Amino acid sequence: MSAAESATAIQRNQVDLLDFIDWSGVECLNQSSSHSLSNALKQGYREDEGLNLESDADEQLLIYIPFTQVIKLHSVVVMGSEEEGPKTVKLFANREHMGFSNVSDFPPSDTAVLSSDNLKGKPVVLKYVKFQNVRSLTIFIEDNQSGSEITKVQKIALYGSTVETTDMKGLKKIEDH
Amino acid sequence: MVLEATMICIDNSEWMRNGDYAPSRFQAQADAVNLICGAKTQSNPENTVGVLTMAGKGVRVLVTPTSDLGKILACMHGLEIGGEMNLAAGIQVAQLALKHRQNKKQQQRIIVFAGSPVMHDKKALEMIGKKLKKNSVALDIVNFGEDDGGKTEKLEALLAAVNNNDTSHIVHVPAGPNALSDVLISTPIFTGDGEGGSGFAASAAAAAAGGVSGFEFGVDPNLDPELALALRVSMEEERARQEAAAKQAAEEASKEEKGGEEQDATMTERASEGASEADNKKIEIADDDDTSLQQALAMSMDEPTSSQDLQDTEMSDAAAEDPELALALQLSVQDSTKDSSSQADVSKLLADQSFVSSILASLPGVDPNDPSVKEVLASMQNQSEPQQKQDEDKAPKKEEEK
Repeated sequence: MSAAESATAIQRNQVDLLDFIDWSGVECLNQSSSHSLSNALKQGYREDEGLNLESDADEQLLIYIPFTQVIKLHSVVVMGSEEEGPKTVKLFANREHMGFSNVSDFPPSDTAVLSSDNLKGKPVVLKYVKFQNVRSLTIFIEDNQSGSEITKVQKIALYGSTVETTDMKGLKKIEDH
Repeated sequence: MVLEATMICIDNSEWMRNGDYAPSRFQAQADAVNLICGAKTQSNPENTVGVLTMAGKGVRVLVTPTSDLGKILACMHGLEIGGEMNLAAGIQVAQLALKHRQNKKQQQRIIVFAGSPVMHDKKALEMIGKKLKKNSVALDIVNFGEDDGGKTEKLEALLAAVNNNDTSHIVHVPAGPNALSDVLISTPIFTGDGEGGSGFAASAAAAAAGGVSGFEFGVDPNLDPELALALRVSMEEERARQEAAAKQAAEEASKEEKGGEEQDATMTERASEGASEADNKKIEIADDDDTSLQQALAMSMDEPTSSQDLQDTEMSDAAAEDPELALALQLSVQDSTKDSSSQADVSKLLADQSFVSSILASLPGVDPNDPSVKEVLASMQNQSEPQQKQDEDKAPKKEEEK
């Protein structure tokens, strides 16, 4: 598929997976307490350029996002500034509770090196076959564009589609007659 | 009530043989560890605690994080003193042990007892601190024992590197008459960042303020609440009888009513719950020196400006319910705050008041706003200053004889 086709594929059958994120389980290691993950993920906050997710002790970030349903992940958008935006981003599907010490223990499902276009909003198309059955996603931001101490991420958006699974929250008790 | 997994790093190096903390540094440390384990498992039943030693032949994990208090206490027996403490390795092993905890939802915390000199340099410690912060592990440091030049600085630097939003703390405990555990009880290490564990901490704090190394009456109110309550009630009754004589005289300051209203409400609440940490404190007061008395009173009285979470929450609840009762209790409370030497009396009075109020609160048919009830309470408020002092003289003597 050419780049143009893949771009349209996003509009065609992929949705923003924001609604399927299980917020109670979302975690981010090494985030600065005043600039937290919600600034990059949540509707409204992520559009605001002044609100960023920032790293704390060093430039790496480890983000864990569980979903309420099984999804297929098609592409991601990671936006940030030219210098302090992320550069190398590794994605792990269905790995629970990773830590910085075991990110190198197994190969990522996909790796993306962000260009300045990506940082402005161009989606990164992923290896779709690797993300067919995703219950949770771990995003490891390894370094940033300029090598500075702090990585700043303005927006993270995930695009994909759902597999037909039952949303348990929608189950209602049937009244007995 | 934070859900937490804690690893406690014990210093069992040669420096722990020293006796400047009674009975020996090691023993004081062991007592503190026992108390911390108790407090953690109490504040949330799903909390786990693990223990490792840093000196000896090398860093050794005695017990991995578990919520079984018996296992933790058992492993403290038969520990040998020797070798040198390896702080960096100890912290790193603790971090590893926490990483492999069973319940990943628990927050990670390491408590380090640093009694011997620290060999590592500041840079290395800061790196360790950063790594802990990156993995969102909180660190509490108990700095006691040896105090060579750089140690305090190094530990402060370590804390600064780890600290994220005040979740990590450092406590410096100088050698002295107070036991290590007593000093620790009032620190955020025990009270868990100002919330949770407050019941345990409060009653233990009262014991500490009283200079009593064990619990009131030698019975742990947490382990055996009925027995502790029964003992306390009989003590209160005895004091009430003695108090009745003292109460006949003077009208007392109605100005203090407003101030202590909340504290009395607190006491009402607590008395009726049967937990009565406030009572413990008051009773402890009777047994003590003036200085520690004043400290304990200051703690328990909760001058309206000071901040004690326990009393604050209960204030709003109970104050609304029993303003009359609160007033009555307040009078007696305030009297004692003004007059430091009358604490013996006050505690009896308070104990009595709360005892009475607890009974009143528990009786469904009794309305504390009933005029006859109010009358009784009003009479209890009246104290004569001279009579108070007389009673104080008698009371401490009596307690000494006991």
